[in-house]
Amino acid sequence: MTALAPAALQSAPATSTPGGSGIRERSLTWMALPALLLFVAFGVIPLLGVLVLSFTTWDGIGQIHPSGFTSWRAVLSDPGLPHALWVTFLVMALTWLVQTPMSILLGAFLAGHQKYREVLAVLYFIPLLLSSASLAITYKALLDPNFGLGAGLHLPILAQDWLGRPVLALGVVIFVVSWQFIPFHALIYQGGVRQIPITMYEAAVIDGAGRVRQFFSITLPQLKYTIITSSTLMIVGSLTFFDLIFVLTAGGPGDATRVLALDMYITGFQANLMGPASAIACILVLVGLALALLLRRLGGDPSASQLEGA
Amino acid sequence: MATATTTPTATATASGRTSGGRKAPERGSQMRGTVRKNWAGGALSYVWLLIVLVPIYWIIITSFKPQSDYFSSNPLAPPTAPSLTNYALVVESDFPRYFLNSVIVTVGSIVPAVVISFLAAFAIVRGRGWALKATNSLFLMGLAIPLQATIIPVYLIIIKLGLYDTLGAIILPSIAFAIPLSVLVLSNFIRDVPKELFESMRMDGATDWQTLWQLAFPLTKPALVTVTIYNGLGIWNGFLLPLILTQSPEKRLLPLGLWTFQGQYSVNVPAILASVVLTTLPILVLYIIGRRQLMSGLTAGFSK
Amino acid sequence: MDPSNTSRRGFLKLAGLAGLSASAVGTLAACGGGTQPTAPGAGGSAGTGGGAAGGTGAASYWFLSGQPNQGIREGTVKRFNTANPDASIKYTEFQNDAYKTKIKTAIGAGQGPTIIWGWGGGGLRDYVKNNQVEDLTPFFTENAALKAKLFPSSFEAATVDGKIYAMPAETVTPIVFYWNKKVFDKVGVQPPASWGDIMALVPKFNEAGVAPFSLGGQSRWTNMMWLEFLLDRTAGPEVFQNVFAGKAGAWSDPAVLDMLTKIQDLVKANGFIKGFSSITADSNADLALLYTGKAAMMVHGAWTYGTMKTDGGDFVSGGNLGYMNFPAVEGGKGDPSNTVGNPAQYYSISSKASDAEKNTAKKFFSTSVLDDTEIKAFADSGSVPIVLGSNSQFSGADAPFLNFVYDTASKAKTFAQSWDQALPAAASETLLDNIAKLFQLSITPQQWVDNMNKVIGS
Repeated sequence: MTALAPAALQSAPATSTPGGSGIRERSLTWMALPALLLFVAFGVIPLLGVLVLSFTTWDGIGQIHPSGFTSWRAVLSDPGLPHALWVTFLVMALTWLVQTPMSILLGAFLAGHQKYREVLAVLYFIPLLLSSASLAITYKALLDPNFGLGAGLHLPILAQDWLGRPVLALGVVIFVVSWQFIPFHALIYQGGVRQIPITMYEAAVIDGAGRVRQFFSITLPQLKYTIITSSTLMIVGSLTFFDLIFVLTAGGPGDATRVLALDMYITGFQANLMGPASAIACILVLVGLALALLLRRLGGDPSASQLEGA
Repeated sequence: MATATTTPTATATASGRTSGGRKAPERGSQMRGTVRKNWAGGALSYVWLLIVLVPIYWIIITSFKPQSDYFSSNPLAPPTAPSLTNYALVVESDFPRYFLNSVIVTVGSIVPAVVISFLAAFAIVRGRGWALKATNSLFLMGLAIPLQATIIPVYLIIIKLGLYDTLGAIILPSIAFAIPLSVLVLSNFIRDVPKELFESMRMDGATDWQTLWQLAFPLTKPALVTVTIYNGLGIWNGFLLPLILTQSPEKRLLPLGLWTFQGQYSVNVPAILASVVLTTLPILVLYIIGRRQLMSGLTAGFSK
Repeated sequence: MDPSNTSRRGFLKLAGLAGLSASAVGTLAACGGGTQPTAPGAGGSAGTGGGAAGGTGAASYWFLSGQPNQGIREGTVKRFNTANPDASIKYTEFQNDAYKTKIKTAIGAGQGPTIIWGWGGGGLRDYVKNNQVEDLTPFFTENAALKAKLFPSSFEAATVDGKIYAMPAETVTPIVFYWNKKVFDKVGVQPPASWGDIMALVPKFNEAGVAPFSLGGQSRWTNMMWLEFLLDRTAGPEVFQNVFAGKAGAWSDPAVLDMLTKIQDLVKANGFIKGFSSITADSNADLALLYTGKAAMMVHGAWTYGTMKTDGGDFVSGGNLGYMNFPAVEGGKGDPSNTVGNPAQYYSISSKASDAEKNTAKKFFSTSVLDDTEIKAFADSGSVPIVLGSNSQFSGADAPFLNFVYDTASKAKTFAQSWDQALPAAASETLLDNIAKLFQLSITPQQWVDNMNKVIGS
């Protein structure tokens, strides 16, 4: 974004009379109402329900027994929780690390106007359209040691115990997630790169900068806000990632890919421990909130304080 | 970075209050003749193409193999006796209805979701008062609400509202769950719109509503396109909400349509893949047709 | 105004909202749990409660999708509806895993169907504990003829604390020891008669480039079948019965450690196909290994016969499929006629349904379930219905296999239910988890025993 000197903003004339700001306040507040109402109805109230449930013991089909902190204590003392947090963090970090550079490169590449790149863009888009179930079926079949890619291409190196060894399984999860979502982020970056004015590059060429130098000095900095948007979606999205990992590895082998959202589902719906599952859900929400605040801090929020002033 | 930004700023303000105005000539068009071909980029792009296409190729050829051949042939070899049985199975299985339901639910969810999120984001960024601050904090808290945890309370609410087993039962919660992230991304974007643009609109006597649609909307298009696609894909492929909140076969969505091919102990993989192909084709066609609008949406707005 | 004020005010407003909502949710949940279900999906009039005890009303019935059994179930319901136009049953199908989530959510919210399709055992016990299903003991006393025609062993998984809570139905599917006759002939060996034979065969097959055993290890319950048989053959059925009854420390029986060590020995000797932890059972990749000759033997459910017949080309029709009950273990206490598997499917009646709906369900049980048409349909599709004397219906190429299953199931001294169905949900999840780790050699047998002892009776 244009980094206008803050001085310019503060020297702008005082924006409104008290009466005027009152009217604007009301008229703007109503704009947020529909979203607020729907979100409260289907987001906040259920969430409060979950919070309440975390102080109970319930097996999902019988009576709900209030039980104070029992479920919380069970969750917080279970070594499974730090493990799940660690796996979640790993998945989040690694998917970001794999997807972001790849998407930026791909996006920058596709931003060029050559015809064949347009064809490539269409082909690259396809993975995005597949559902988790179809992805899981596809990859589980391709990774089968006896009937998959390794066997088909007669390449033993591809016939590993992909879903049976913890490190490999984690790698598979990250690969499949990236495979599906890189096209999406590449699309965003493509848009971002296309917005960079050509004049900047022309000036750089005149100054004798090579392609790599141009990339790091012009493209990347200009993409700062795109990177933030894309990263926000990636990171927050990966927190509630459930479908794909569940159908691909079900958290296995053992608990090697058991991210927090999976831990919650398995505890609640497979082990019938709804109380602890609700506690884990609350923890998930808190982690999300912490992340959002962190992202906001990183993204820079200069306007917030200005709006509040006066 | 300081000096380079004067050009784009000038472009933005010169265009006044309408959309980003004359775009600076885009990268690549003039460069073609003057720069060496990008061999590294080209090579990498073909490697990625291979990685993308191998699974897709597998999906397509397997969908033409009868189930009995599924394990006996090389997985990467095209079918020796291609058959349309699987596709016939899919079409017979009420696939068109599931497809239509999915379309209704997806469109019926994202359009309202994006619109009200946009309104809310605008209000949060441009408005004042404790109510909006609280709303913003509330949305932030809602970013990571796991659907699986809240599904039972949502289920109860839907039943109380008398909406169980209707498409509306899926639409309403889908909208609600899309709101937090959309508001976050959209408000980030609106926040970056230079203040003088808003000032100049107000000085011209525009109402908030006009400012919203004539200024903010065109400038926020890239973010709008982004959240539309992101949420749209999530809803299109969503499984848990349709499973819990609907029941009758007439209300089924595509992800549930795969059940026809999933038995108690085994799965008809080629048939499922045929279903996947049939599901993906229409959207792919949509993308091919709408690609230009999509890209222009993503590059709209003032240059940064 | 300064930020701290607004945020505090905002927070207080939120807290107020929270209090309001919490009570709202509490009310909702309470309402949801207690009311009579207007079971959405029940066609037409949900019969009004009370009234004439003999009256019948529309009922709802949820079951699994997937042919051929789906078609057979639908046929039975349709026959009932034709014969009882004023008391019809509306049915809906769901896929296996989806069904498990759906039924739990629905019953938990008080919206379950009248007739609940299930697996008996621990799941049924959970329903009973929470008063969700009807006691059917009086029903079976009244309908003694119905009870007498079903396999006696099928009632064990339907019984909780001495009372019957479900009607056994559909087919029996024990776990079978399969082998590929062609591969055996090529390597020049005989099918094993004991555990010692199995261990001796392993190196022979490995040398010949064939995996001794196929295994879909990613699905976990496939590994479990091995433990079920080994424990039974080594120590008899009492050990698991103790676990099931909730006796503390029941897993510490020395036979358990012995059995677990044997399994790990088999894994270490490369008894299972390489990479078995990546092979899933639901894509039938494990069956394919057997019928394409990449593996020599396999321990799997009787239901796989049908799939191998359809997908395996001439494997089954050419007489290449060998099958028998799991071999004995030298010095083991278990009776070699014992078997494990799924003794039946179990239909329960929701206790929250109205009397009219319950009567409809009972009438359905007594007149249509496992009537002659259904028996024949199951037999023709290659499964063994749990009706005594159904073997007279077996004909054609599948008859030998069906007779084998019938004999194994009816003559077994003990027919143990699959552990993951028998145990309550939390314990079952821990069980599968530990079994996976055992096969991956990442925990020792002693650790396995300790982990499982912790969840007994939970």
